[in-house]
Parts: sequence; C-alpha cells; structure tokens
Amino acid sequence: MHMMENVTIKGKNFLGFEIEINADDLEEIKKGLDIVIASSVHLIKNSIVTLRFTEDNKQFANDILNYLKGKNIDINAVVVDDKNNLQSSVPVIELKNIHLLSDSHKQQPATYKGNLRNGQEIRVNGDLIIAGNVNPNSYVYATGNIFVLGKLYGIPHAGYGGNNDSMIFAFDLNPPQIRIGNLITRSPEEGVSVKQNNNMVFEVAYAENNSIVISSYDEWLKLKN
Amino acid sequence: MAGKVLTITSGKGGVGKSTTSANLALGLALSGKKVVAIDLDIGLRNLDMILGLENRIVYDVVNIVEKTCKLNQALIKDKRTENLFLIAAAQTRDKSAVTSEQIKELAEELKKDYDYIILDSPAGIEGGFKNAMEPADEVIIVTTPEISAVRDADRVIGILEANSKTETNLIINRIDPTLVKRGDMMSKDDVLQVLSIPLIGIIPEDKNIVSYTNIGEPSILHKDSKSGMAYKNIIQRLLGKNVEFMEITEDKKGFFQNLVSLFKE
Repeated sequence: MHMMENVTIKGKNFLGFEIEINADDLEEIKKGLDIVIASSVHLIKNSIVTLRFTEDNKQFANDILNYLKGKNIDINAVVVDDKNNLQSSVPVIELKNIHLLSDSHKQQPATYKGNLRNGQEIRVNGDLIIAGNVNPNSYVYATGNIFVLGKLYGIPHAGYGGNNDSMIFAFDLNPPQIRIGNLITRSPEEGVSVKQNNNMVFEVAYAENNSIVISSYDEWLKLKN
Repeated sequence: MAGKVLTITSGKGGVGKSTTSANLALGLALSGKKVVAIDLDIGLRNLDMILGLENRIVYDVVNIVEKTCKLNQALIKDKRTENLFLIAAAQTRDKSAVTSEQIKELAEELKKDYDYIILDSPAGIEGGFKNAMEPADEVIIVTTPEISAVRDADRVIGILEANSKTETNLIINRIDPTLVKRGDMMSKDDVLQVLSIPLIGIIPEDKNIVSYTNIGEPSILHKDSKSGMAYKNIIQRLLGKNVEFMEITEDKKGFFQNLVSLFKE
C-alpha cells in the first residue's frame, strides 16, 4: 500500500495548489517541504498556494509559514477543519463551515428573478434557479445545481463545498470559468468578440473523470437517460 | 412646483456624462423648463466649461452646503436662457467635502422652484457617485459601445437597483455606424442585451464635440450637429413625447452635397 507522505502537493484548490501537511513533527514537516519545494518550486512560486493542516499539526502553522517565507515562498491561505487555537499570519479557510453548507443539500431550490449584474453574487444551499441573465463579473455559488434561464456570462460554482456531481445549465452558457465541486475550468482563449452569438444552444456543464465537460442539453439528455 | 431630480451617471469615466448633462440641461431649459444643473465632480469640475460659464463662478456647491454663501449667490445664470442655472463644483476640495444628505437637502430645496435638477455624477462607484445617486428621482446611465464601459454601466445599474432606484434609462453615446457595420463595435442591440434597461437615446459619434467644448457651446445649440439632433430627441422623450429613434447611418455625401461644398469653397 502507498505510504502517506509527510507533505504532498495537490492541484486541488480552485486556482492553484494545495500543500497537504500530514506529519505531526515539525522537523519531519520541514524535511517533507524541502522535498516538495525542490521538485515543484516553479509551480509553487507562480500559483496560488494554500497549506492544508490537520487538527494534530495546525499548531505549527506559523512556524511553517515563517520557514517558507525564509525560502521566499508566500502562502496565500491556510486551510483547516476548525480555526480554533490556530495562529496564522495569512488568511484562514475553515472547512467546517463549507461542510455545513453541503450537508443541508436536500431542500427546495432557491429562485432568483432578475438579472445578476457586474459585482453582485448569490450564495445558496442546495439548487439555484435564476430567471434572468447572469452578467459578466458576477458570481453564483450553490452547493447543488445551478440553472440559469437566460445568459450565463458570470462565474458559476455548482457543488460548492465539494459536490462534483452537480451540474450547471444555461440557455446561453458562456462563462469565463466554470467551477463544479473542487474542479475548475476556464473558457478557451479566444479574442473577446463583440459579435453576437446567433446560434444559441442550451448547454450543460458537468464533471466526468475529474474534469468539467460541456455538452449541448440535447446530448446530455441522451447521455444521462 | 414639484421638480424632478435627474442624475446622469456611468461608472466609467470619459463616456460623456458631463457633455450629456450640459446638453440635457440646456435642452430642457430651451424647451421652457426651469433647470438647475449641479456639477458633483468636486475637484475635477468640467460642466462649467462645457456650458461656457467658467468665468462666472464665484461660489460653488461646497460653499452652499457649508453655508458660506446663500443658495442664490451660487446659482450661475446661463448666458443663453433665463431658465438655466448652474451650481459649479468646488475645484480646491474633493468628493468628501459634501455628503449625500446635504445634496438631498439642497435638491429638495431646489425642487420647490425648478422643474429639473440635473446632477452630473463623477465617475466611479464611491462617495461622489453616491452623493449623486441618493437624491435621484430618475437616473440616466450613459455608456459607450465598448465592453469596458458597458461592464461598468452594468455594475452601476446593479448598485442603483440595490438602492431601489428603478427609474433608469440608458443613453448609448458615440455609436460609429461604420465600425458597427464592420463588426468592430457593439451595436445598440448588443449593449441592450447586456444592460436590459429602457433606452432613451443613441448619440452618434461626433468629432465636433471637442470644439463645442472648447467654445463652451453644447452641440444642442448647433443646428447641423448630429449629436445635437439626438440630444433634442432625448429631450422630447424626457418630456413624455414619443419620438422615433434616429437611424444612425454612415456619413456619405451625395452628389448634390458634394456639388454644394464645391461651391462653398
């Protein structure tokens, strides 16, 4: 069986990498970090990097942040289950709350009527139906599925909190990024076009084999039923 | 008299808020309405220049709210019509020199004597914008057919909606028919699809605006100006008349026009 490494690096947070600290001994952790840094320094320095601690080793958070700072590596956030008794010089992401969100998953869908405009965001537990357009630079988070009865040009995050089985539907699905569970994908780098998209097809985004797939609604219906 | 506070705003800078404020203020005044235009771009005033009233400023809006002058002393009378007054922005202060409460109070006071109080908002979504937004009865959002301007307009509309300002209308400024035809500029419909609020006017690109500003004569005063014509239509719509939208076409001189210009030279 595969032995748990002291420190592992995973491409799992939304925009970069997460370094998982598994050992409970400060010296072991530092050794593990040295190995990870040696192999992935380029990735780490050019991405958003979070540090994941367990309840048993989170007391070393500040020591490790300082240790990495000494090596010119900046960490964007620390991820823990519970931020009680944690000292950290960088922002802390507490998973406790996110799990709470996804637990209350089975409930009536929330509905929002109207356009979601630049700079606005919605967060709901469970499924979300938007009757209106989701404009560029707006954000939609749901722990369940997202249905947009209009244009989706903002950024949707379905399955917020880790549910990769969630899906996103829109009359016109054209967001710069799609986030489902703990996956993220961005739209192809085409030049921004001001031309109108006339052949609009209803589309669905969902996760398959750990990547996000977009297909027409018709295709999706055939696949899933 | 129960006047109306009309705020002109955009989010992005340089899309034509002050030019629009000047034209609408002057246009409404020339149609017989009593109008006060207030420049709320404190620290970066422009409206006085566009209206050609720069050299008449003695007191400004900050003087009024700080009560270092009487309201009447700060009302600058326009040189073309009895119906238009300007309250200029202070140039030596910044946006924090007034509060939205003070502007609201001032607007309420002016409503008694004027039909329209036009608030020329500064760019941005910070304090200066809020000073202009909060007293508004109606808001006109000015945008150009560029993605960045449209995005900012969308942001502003969102903030307005969140503050229960639902009487909003859109002006699309600087449409260039040649570029739209080539597919290099968003069309009127492209813009409306994103912003989905009622359209009250489309202003064609007009190279003369720069010189009109230099001489302090808004385009509405120039009979042959295309942008002036578009502003006149907006005035009619503001006054409740149903005016068809002008077809914006490319500037092509016909045979006779060429002939005429030949003779002119």
